[in-house]
Amino acid sequence: MRQGLNRRSFLSSAATVAGAAAVAPLLSACGGGGGKHKSGANTEQGMKAALPAYVPNTAVPADIPGVSGGSNGAVTDPGFLSYPANPVATVQGVPGKGGSYTAVTPLWGTVPPAGNSFYQAMNKALGVSFEMKPADGNNYNTIIPTMTAAKKLPDWINLPAWWNSNFNTGGLADSQLADLTPYLAGDKIKQYPNLAAIPTGAWQTGVWGDKLYGIPCFSTAMPLPGAVFYRRDLLEAKGITADQVKSADDMMNLGKELTDAKGGVWAFDDVWTYLSIAWGIPAKWTLKDGKLVHKYELPEFLEALDWHYKLASAGYLHPDAIAGNNSDAGTRFYAGKTLIGGGGLGAWNLADHQSGIAADPNYRRGAFNIMTASGTGNPQIFMGSSSSMLSYLNAKLKPEQIEELLAVANYLAAPYGSAEYTLINFGVEGVHYNRVNGVPTATDEGKKDVQATTFPFLAAPPSVISNPGGDQVTKDYTAWQAANVKTLYKPLFWNMNLSMPQQIASADSGQAVEDTIKDCYHGKKKVSDVQAAISTWKSNGGDRLKQWMTDNVLSKYGTGQ
Amino acid sequence: MSAARSERGGTGKSLTWRTRLRRDKSLLLMTVPAVVLLLVFNYAPLFGLVTAFQYYDPLDGVRNSEWAGLAQFQQLFNDPLFWGALKNTLWLSLVQLVLFFPVPIALALLLNTVLSERLRNFIQSVVYLPHFFSWVLAITIFQQMLGGAGVLNHFLRQHDMQPWDITTNPHTFALLITSQAVWKEAGWGIIVFLAALAAINTDLYEAAAADGAGRWRRMWHITLPGLRGVIVLMLVLRLGNALSVGFEQFLIQREAVGHETADVLDTFSFYYGIANGNYSFGAAAGLFKSVISLLLIWGANKLAHVFGEDGLYRK
Repeated sequence: MRQGLNRRSFLSSAATVAGAAAVAPLLSACGGGGGKHKSGANTEQGMKAALPAYVPNTAVPADIPGVSGGSNGAVTDPGFLSYPANPVATVQGVPGKGGSYTAVTPLWGTVPPAGNSFYQAMNKALGVSFEMKPADGNNYNTIIPTMTAAKKLPDWINLPAWWNSNFNTGGLADSQLADLTPYLAGDKIKQYPNLAAIPTGAWQTGVWGDKLYGIPCFSTAMPLPGAVFYRRDLLEAKGITADQVKSADDMMNLGKELTDAKGGVWAFDDVWTYLSIAWGIPAKWTLKDGKLVHKYELPEFLEALDWHYKLASAGYLHPDAIAGNNSDAGTRFYAGKTLIGGGGLGAWNLADHQSGIAADPNYRRGAFNIMTASGTGNPQIFMGSSSSMLSYLNAKLKPEQIEELLAVANYLAAPYGSAEYTLINFGVEGVHYNRVNGVPTATDEGKKDVQATTFPFLAAPPSVISNPGGDQVTKDYTAWQAANVKTLYKPLFWNMNLSMPQQIASADSGQAVEDTIKDCYHGKKKVSDVQAAISTWKSNGGDRLKQWMTDNVLSKYGTGQ
Repeated sequence: MSAARSERGGTGKSLTWRTRLRRDKSLLLMTVPAVVLLLVFNYAPLFGLVTAFQYYDPLDGVRNSEWAGLAQFQQLFNDPLFWGALKNTLWLSLVQLVLFFPVPIALALLLNTVLSERLRNFIQSVVYLPHFFSWVLAITIFQQMLGGAGVLNHFLRQHDMQPWDITTNPHTFALLITSQAVWKEAGWGIIVFLAALAAINTDLYEAAAADGAGRWRRMWHITLPGLRGVIVLMLVLRLGNALSVGFEQFLIQREAVGHETADVLDTFSFYYGIANGNYSFGAAAGLFKSVISLLLIWGANKLAHVFGEDGLYRK
């Protein structure tokens, strides 16, 4: 079967859309190995029928409830200041029936020993015998294709959504992954109340060809790409507050005011990725008069670059950032050698707080509100994916085995602060953690066996903001989310996990342009050099990419907004 | 030498292969593990070269991937970035040949003149050491010393002088990476020359000294001719590897000087092939590099034979 050819000549992807207007997601036309593939895409009605109902869980009330962004569908992550003293149980009895299963999850860290005390405690609580096989997270995208090629998937596997094209998840869904629609669609999910509390948008990233396959692991209704952070303690000591900084000009002035090269302090680390959004640059595509326009083609893109080029040429960017030494960006920030820098929001947590105060007892991270470059008009930022990781069950499992594992998934998705959540994330009290001032604190055994996260990669509750022992972080971060929740918008083709023919994908990643952009915002290449790189890109595949996107995505399945 | 050759040739012809097999049995047995390793890790992967002629997809496997013919090469040769990377590779290789290659030889000669064995061992250990550092570490040290926020520039700024950022200057990049290579590898490179020096018969020096030859004459007439075979062998290998100037060193410093300056063939294959999942394109670039390298090493070896040296093997 010429699956390679077919897969390429067709659109192989699931385009899933969270939020209101459901767009027909695209399914892998053909792929995998079975030879009984259906071509076609998700239809609007088909997807609606496959999606589970949403029933919010109120078992553990948040200290700082989520704030809705209104019509954009975004809701901030709820904040928890203290860890519940007496965690409540949300699952009655033991979910499993004694089955034996294998599971593969990515692990960024040291693999805990097999059969350790934590795994034993989990098996007992779940009522199944799990053989956990964590695989190196950094090489996960090369480890899994060998399993799928050999058709030797474990019973339960985590597949990060950002590698959907590497894994050909659409093709896998059709041949090697279990269809969960009969068990979860619509009201059927209500027998698994913790799973039902996962927002609809996240489930949509697991729908392929009108069928539900994926279980979301880390879902959020506030999917933000990142922010421009600043050293709140140091700036406020100079009398600068975030609300005074409203435009690109203000930012440039900060560069002048804060940079003291002689003292070894530079105002900025790399900010391009997150600050350039202030010029109104889309995630990748935008529509003008009904036609697709790539962000490279927008005049505001060049304006943003020009500003960043000036920032670097003026000497406001730390020399090590210019030298591409990104791994030390955190150290520079903690040491106060840089005061402003862009980054993902995952950085705003307890570990960051602890590293920061180790370097400077007054350390406090802050983020500038989403702004516009001109300082006028409505600031906007595009949403990212609603669930970046999903887990899948093997198609070879029998229906009763699938039901057993879904009950286990329901246990794993128990809300923050529940008894189940405590066991999954901290282990057994007295063995893996002890309460220190009410905060579950890992013992050495806990650090080794529990903190090497495995089970949450199979199923987990929607994300919350909680930093036990670092309440300031939780308060700052929730406040920032609430202040910015209305600026989110759904970008074109949002949550559509497109995978493309190789030549198109190369143009899509635009490596040569991206390299030149990096040189430009580091002050090494002029904006005109980027323009030249963009025009080469257009003739070497960029125009073909646009045509392909227009023919295969836009005209067939719409905008996804 | 010619006498020795004919003698060997003579015995080779007069014995049957069966006799020779019996005679060399133990030697052949000893080479078996190395040959197996070579077959498994160097020859078997050669079949993967077929991906350069495909639109390879790891999920479909080599067998099911779509055939591309020469399309990948066509795309490669039309890519200005590829030619830029080739140009960088050749230029950096030339700079390293001129500025790096003689350093270990000179170091070995110098070290050879140190009489105190203790001092010699000490110096040797000191210059070997950087070889065991990773490139990340070596480059970090350079950045900490010479970078924009490093020791040198901190000093310059403190004394109200213009900072001079050496690590991000694309114009002097070739010199920077060569000095890094010298710092890290030159000490290690002297081993083979020291071995060759040790093999020179000391009677020759004594005889020459008795005949009134000075230090320089002895070096010119005894030491250097004694080293010639090894130098030529190293040169042949270096030329054959002219297109492999290193990988991590460029990968790490690519952002610092920009991709147009730092991209060599290996980083090109990585960024524009593997990193984009465009395996076939990367394989095509790799295959191109291998073919040129093969031609280079063949040419250099021929040249060595013309000059009467052994080269890679005795003719």
